[in-house]
Amino acid sequence: MLTLTEVHTYYGKSHILLGVSLEVQPGEVVGLLGRNGVGKSTTLKTIMGLVRPSGGHVRFEGREIAGTAPHRLAHAGLAWVPEDRRIFRLLTVMENLRTGLDRPGMTEARRRELLDKVYAHFPVLAERRSQAGGTLSGGEQQMLAIARAMMLEPKIILLDEPTEGLMPRMVGQIREIITLLHQDRVAILLVEQNVPLTLDVSDRVYIMEKGLVRHHATAAELRADHAVIHQYLGV
Amino acid sequence: MSIPLDQILIQTVNGLVNGMILALVASGLTLIFGIMDVVNFAHGDLVMLGGFTGAVTIAATGNFWLALLVAVLVIAVFGAALQATTLRPLLGRDPLTTILATFGISLVLQKYALWQWGPSARRIQEPLTGQFQLFYLQYPWYRVLTAVLSAAIIGGFWLFLRHGKYGIWIRATMQDRIMASAMGIPVPWVHTGVFAIGAGMAAASGVLFGPLGGVTQNMGLDFTLRAFIVVVVGGMGNLGGSIFAAILISLLEAYASLVVSPAQAVIVSFVVLILTLLFRPTGLFVPTPK
Ligand SMILES: Nc1ncnc2c1ncn2[C@@H]1O[C@H](COP(=O)(O)OP(=O)(O)OP(=O)(O)O)[C@@H](O)[C@H]1O
Ligand SMILES: [Mg+2]
Repeated sequence: MLTLTEVHTYYGKSHILLGVSLEVQPGEVVGLLGRNGVGKSTTLKTIMGLVRPSGGHVRFEGREIAGTAPHRLAHAGLAWVPEDRRIFRLLTVMENLRTGLDRPGMTEARRRELLDKVYAHFPVLAERRSQAGGTLSGGEQQMLAIARAMMLEPKIILLDEPTEGLMPRMVGQIREIITLLHQDRVAILLVEQNVPLTLDVSDRVYIMEKGLVRHHATAAELRADHAVIHQYLGV
Repeated sequence: MSIPLDQILIQTVNGLVNGMILALVASGLTLIFGIMDVVNFAHGDLVMLGGFTGAVTIAATGNFWLALLVAVLVIAVFGAALQATTLRPLLGRDPLTTILATFGISLVLQKYALWQWGPSARRIQEPLTGQFQLFYLQYPWYRVLTAVLSAAIIGGFWLFLRHGKYGIWIRATMQDRIMASAMGIPVPWVHTGVFAIGAGMAAASGVLFGPLGGVTQNMGLDFTLRAFIVVVVGGMGNLGGSIFAAILISLLEAYASLVVSPAQAVIVSFVVLILTLLFRPTGLFVPTPK
């Protein structure tokens, strides 16, 4: 469904992605691991159209999407949950969610349904619906960031370090959400530092090093092969 | 030295009236800055074009209200076209690029107005000629009307921002342009729309100001400068701050003109600007980042 072939990305003069190739099948959870600064977030931003690749192909459902405006990709079924969450701090929780609801082809009934669904999964967001996004705790903001992405009814979610800085209880909740999205057949490309969690929830895992995908295996294989994890991630 | 109370009250009314028109111009300017980081140095020239469009419409129809409406719509559409063709391609570039671009637009618009309408001032006939007794003065109702209308336009826009889908799009884009686009908000069109709204507000000020000061092809610079000072004092991109700063500066100028000549009173706004830049460089109403 999503295929990257030999993708190169620059920030100014610095060459960050040196030919990244990976793919995600419909409904699949794919982990993307790697040390700090190897280009994981840049890979997600490149897919979302936020930085333009200088070479290679990004294909979504068979269509080349490199260079397509992000808002069109959002309508086409890609959603992005950035590592710093990027809640609209001065918008209320409800308004944050609405940013993803006012798109072509939406009916009032469908909007209601989607809102009811996330409020059922995240009761805390329902409680705080009229509160400014910036006043939520870190964990609540992460919930909101994921819930906001779900408003787009995406086919794939690009999830960047969702458990970063969260308490263990919150990490458990994130794991539940990922499982839930998986059951709903939403594909996920998951960037994480938390290796056990990633191996747990993913079908397959890519490991990046200095702008390249260096290793690719099923999560089951990696669970049995700690040497590889140690070699690339030092844990 | 003592100043009679009635003079102070008269200057308070004057300051409020001038402040509201200035607030209307400054709102558009601060909005455009807030959403696309562009200081629109052609903003005053949109006021001027609005004034001329109004004057031409009145000459043809004799109807002030129709002229106000036509000017707002025509200049809003013109503003949208201007943004889409000249500013959209420059988004995210060095601020100097957009300063030069809008400054260039300003020059072109002035020369166009000179060519089209000539160098002499046009006065717009006010829709309301009555006056009321304000102490020893006959004070024109029209001046009060301009303040009320300006406030109504700003208030209407504020409601538009608070409620509904487009208000959310604009506020989300102001806060985080990249996240907004990733959420499916068509950010390039939000920019164009906001520029059109700012241009429409500028045009409304031009028509409202027409009966008070006349419309001339070179009036824009003064409006741009005054609105720019207000926007800096109010905190770049802060709508409420700009409105407050517009009224504050106009009141201070009005009071200053009690003791010095009106031409000298203009200095007040520069003093406020310099003090703001010295002590609160992010504006009076935005907390200085630590
Ligand atoms: N906007 C930018 N401009 C210039 N360089 C950048 C920019 N963003 C990231 N980089 C650089 O690109 C490289 C890859 O960054 P990226 O954020 O993709 O890493 P990452 O794998 O997500 O790391 P982390 O695990 O720390 O989040 C880093 O060296 C970083 O310093
Ligand atoms: Mg990262």
